Amino acid sequence: MTTLQMKNLSLTLVLATCLAACGNEPPPQDKLTLENGVDSAIQAERMKKTKSIFYNIPSPMETAGLLKKAGAKYNKTILNDVKNVDKYTSAGQQALNLGIYGADLSYTSVFNHTQESMFYTSCSRKLADRLGVISAFNDSTLELMQSNLNDRDALLDIVSETYWNVDAYLKENGRDNISALMIAGGWVEGLYIATQISKINDTPELRQRIAEQRISLNDLSNLINSYELEDARLTSVKADIASLQAIFAEVASGAPGTATSEENGVPVIGTGGTAATLTDAQLIKIRDRTAEIRTTYIN
Amino acid sequence: MYNVRTTLAKTLLASAFLLTTALVNAQCRSFAKNKCVPDLAPYKFNESFNAAQLAPGEEAEVNLTFYSGQEYRVMVCTHPILGEVNWKLVDENNKIVFESLADNPKHSFDLKAGSTSAMKVVVWVPSGGNTSMVHVGCVAILVGFKE
Repeated sequence: MTTLQMKNLSLTLVLATCLAACGNEPPPQDKLTLENGVDSAIQAERMKKTKSIFYNIPSPMETAGLLKKAGAKYNKTILNDVKNVDKYTSAGQQALNLGIYGADLSYTSVFNHTQESMFYTSCSRKLADRLGVISAFNDSTLELMQSNLNDRDALLDIVSETYWNVDAYLKENGRDNISALMIAGGWVEGLYIATQISKINDTPELRQRIAEQRISLNDLSNLINSYELEDARLTSVKADIASLQAIFAEVASGAPGTATSEENGVPVIGTGGTAATLTDAQLIKIRDRTAEIRTTYIN
Repeated sequence: MYNVRTTLAKTLLASAFLLTTALVNAQCRSFAKNKCVPDLAPYKFNESFNAAQLAPGEEAEVNLTFYSGQEYRVMVCTHPILGEVNWKLVDENNKIVFESLADNPKHSFDLKAGSTSAMKVVVWVPSGGNTSMVHVGCVAILVGFKE
């Protein structure tokens, strides 16, 4: 056996191990409730209303980076179990958990736990396949990650690009509601990770970052509420978001500064503001409600 | 028979529309990925795909959150067929933080957030003047951040 053949064999074995680690064959699926059957008039009206307005929800990678900077520690026990992947049979569940596994993947990658990153990539790929997002994930994505396991920056770039490909593919193909569910799942998982970490690694910076999620929660709410479709999963997610907004409404959100200064030639916008803060009781409320919501998504 | 034909024709038209839309959007993604994202370096792309096909006179806006202490690059990238566009970054009170006009265009703006705040990028395509040709082109609004 040549060196090249051995290399290919070992790569195949690693990929097979990753796929096997991420659950077995999926059970028969529920009917996929995708967008194709939607009344075209409703869809055209929605497109007309939202065509030019975007809500930029912080990506899982950005959130994981903020957590790391805030002093958060890595804890793999709080992530969604990779074995759960085969439980997700409806399109809504698959979209939410694609977001959740995507956030877990970003968390493991940012904290440089590459083996777990491979497992979560496999799970994400399985769900993307089942949602019909065939072009965003392929064998070469896994192979590329495998060959860059020791290059954290390259790994993060691959993860970022894959997330972007999935999101863009869904939006381009008129499946914005699936994209919105994926974004919602990722956002909830990010908040879940942050609040769970705060149990054992409670820092003022981490609390501030959790409190600041009030802003992106409002953007997420606007995004989800831009869909008027009769979609049971979107409706329940809307209610979940509204319940979190009610809790966040009590949080001291701080005030952006109004002054501008300069640092190394780069303008610093909004200096002199006050930071958002969380009381113990508010943190517990947010943590508990987020955990309840997340439990309904992953089970 | 008439109903079957009408339904078939409608289905074909709808399919053609969806296919065309998907193709045009895919071209927009490909344009943003190949021509715009590389210019975000050394900032890391935040993974959000905000791109639209705009015609002269049309407008797009993106709501953003900037986190205190983080450094960002905001970029507006336009397909050459559309020409230069106007864009501005405004804060929660609609105060202009940065503005670029088509006659003196700047395609990106770097900033550091002094405090966490919600802002908005507004892009508008200048009207085409007297020309009867209407060009529709891809406009991508991208954000990069420093890890």
